[in-house]
Amino acid sequence: MSQPSPLADKRILVVEDEYFIARDLERALRAADAIVVGPVATLEQGLDLAETQVLDAAVLDVNLSGERAFEIADRLSARDVPWTFLTGYDEWALPAPYRSASIVAKPFQADRVVRAIGALMPDKGCA
Amino acid sequence: MNGQSPPPAPSAPTPQGPVHRDAHVLAGINRILQEALRASTEEELGRLCLEVAEDLTGAEFSFFGERGPSHDRLDHIAISERGWAAYGGDDPDYSERQLPNGMKIHGIFGQVILQNRSLIVNDPASHPDRVGTPDGHPGLRNFLGVPLRRDGETFAMFALGNHPTGFTERELAIAEELAPAIVQALLRKRAEVASRASERRLLSLIEGIPQLVWTATRDGQWTWASAQWVAMTGLSVEESLGDGWLAAVHPDDRDAARRFWESASENGDLAMEGRLRDGETGRYRWFKTRATPVHDDHGRVVEWFGTSTDIDTLRRLRERQETLVAELQHRVRNILTIVRSIFTRTVESGGPIDEIADHFRGRLDSLARTQVVATQTRSGKIDLENLIRDELLGVGAIEDERLSIEGPDVALPADTAESIGLAIHELTTNALKYGALRHPAGRLTIAWGIEHKSNNKCELIVKWDETGVPAMPVPPVRQGFGTELIREALPYGLGARTRLEFRGGGVLCVVSLPWSADDTDPVNRSAEG
Repeated sequence: MSQPSPLADKRILVVEDEYFIARDLERALRAADAIVVGPVATLEQGLDLAETQVLDAAVLDVNLSGERAFEIADRLSARDVPWTFLTGYDEWALPAPYRSASIVAKPFQADRVVRAIGALMPDKGCA
Repeated sequence: MNGQSPPPAPSAPTPQGPVHRDAHVLAGINRILQEALRASTEEELGRLCLEVAEDLTGAEFSFFGERGPSHDRLDHIAISERGWAAYGGDDPDYSERQLPNGMKIHGIFGQVILQNRSLIVNDPASHPDRVGTPDGHPGLRNFLGVPLRRDGETFAMFALGNHPTGFTERELAIAEELAPAIVQALLRKRAEVASRASERRLLSLIEGIPQLVWTATRDGQWTWASAQWVAMTGLSVEESLGDGWLAAVHPDDRDAARRFWESASENGDLAMEGRLRDGETGRYRWFKTRATPVHDDHGRVVEWFGTSTDIDTLRRLRERQETLVAELQHRVRNILTIVRSIFTRTVESGGPIDEIADHFRGRLDSLARTQVVATQTRSGKIDLENLIRDELLGVGAIEDERLSIEGPDVALPADTAESIGLAIHELTTNALKYGALRHPAGRLTIAWGIEHKSNNKCELIVKWDETGVPAMPVPPVRQGFGTELIREALPYGLGARTRLEFRGGGVLCVVSLPWSADDTDPVNRSAEG
């Protein structure tokens, strides 16, 4: 028997403005048995889901058609929902408060994202 | 002049020791020292010294000279008023009282310097060292020369000429009494001139450098501001004194400017960056301000000397460069991510390897074209018509009665152009394989325009309309990459509404994009600020 995925049945928000990248993320997360919330492409949609959905974690593209996803990150943090940035920016190009955040660099491999999100999840032991 | 008798000597020189400083000599010394600083030039001072010496000794004329830079030549500091009056030659230089310079140190006068001692010669014509006098020089009957020493070394001399009764030890003693005063007066004058010149240099340096310069007490109360500060801020010196200078500091930087002085220690230099208001334009500019303490002889800080350097352009360039580098990284990494994703999809759709390679190459070329155009224009925007033409001309289509491309000037942002360009590419490929670009009877009309919707919103509507295509013997691949792009990706990323129909006469595709009014600028007018 293979180990159950750490993301199994976890509700993961995906905010990414590029359709094909969003689909790749969706596919990778589903393959890890996660439940994908979204994906959505805009700051507005992202904020809406971040406030209204039950979430276990989130993957956020930093640049959403020219808008920055920091507000979504702040809302999620306020709800204790862990998140990771998916971005082509280097850490130095991010505002200071986000430089120590979890970051997956573009271009990425799907399993990288899955591992990064897995690392965000609290270890529930072998329940 | 030779009619003047020597001043009366109340006390005769005693052979046992130096002459008593009689009242006349003391008065002469006093005059030399007092007027030394009043004289406007060294020559004027020299003439005064010589006049005093002539008055006290009864000499008829005199000169004052010093070793020049090469040490073996004598330069004149002055020739006395009486000396010039006695000149009888016609050398135009001397008629204009041009001092002779670079005289060889020889003859009778030369011995004063070479032998480093005072000298009386009352019969110069028979003196072994005689070299004669220059043309026009008054006839020399008597000579009295005295060396002038600085730190024990003879650097100059003065000499008196002709005395009604010949020079004696008495005149020699008077001249030697005057010598130290003359040296002191000359050196004092030189120091003063040098200090004035250095002050002038310092001032022109301070007023000439591009920095704003000021002085302050240790708690930041300004005591002086330079002309540059006044010119930049429009605040007068008086308005800037005390903490008046804060008025030119950006309100958001005033706290930092006050705190700047809190860290003022006895030795440390201060530095901060802040904005100052340009009095002329009202715009704030970034300045780097530095202050350094000025110490007195006991090492105590007496004031702070400050400069503010304009770093506005530098700072803006730095910010712009950081933004550009960050955007470049973002774009490059993002496009690689997209290429990776398109590659995966192209391979997954299956088919012979040649066909997969062709598809992938076509998609890559389309992305590349958009990237090239986006980076060629300053605004990074792309003209829709060019985007469509490039794609169609790239596959050899010719605009004739079977192909029509028409619409107003529309400038697309790079990310929109990327998706629309790919969609046009997919439609073109499909039309070449199965549609209007393959069949002689087929027609293709590509048209676009901006439509005003309700509540002030606009839409850019692009329509791809094929007609005259006979029914397909082989049905087109209806669930390929192109179809997903148009039906899913455009609505997802651009918020577009799309319609894609495979009709009897060919493909109909309509893309409606939300459009904001300021996006409607033609490419060439939408340059950044």
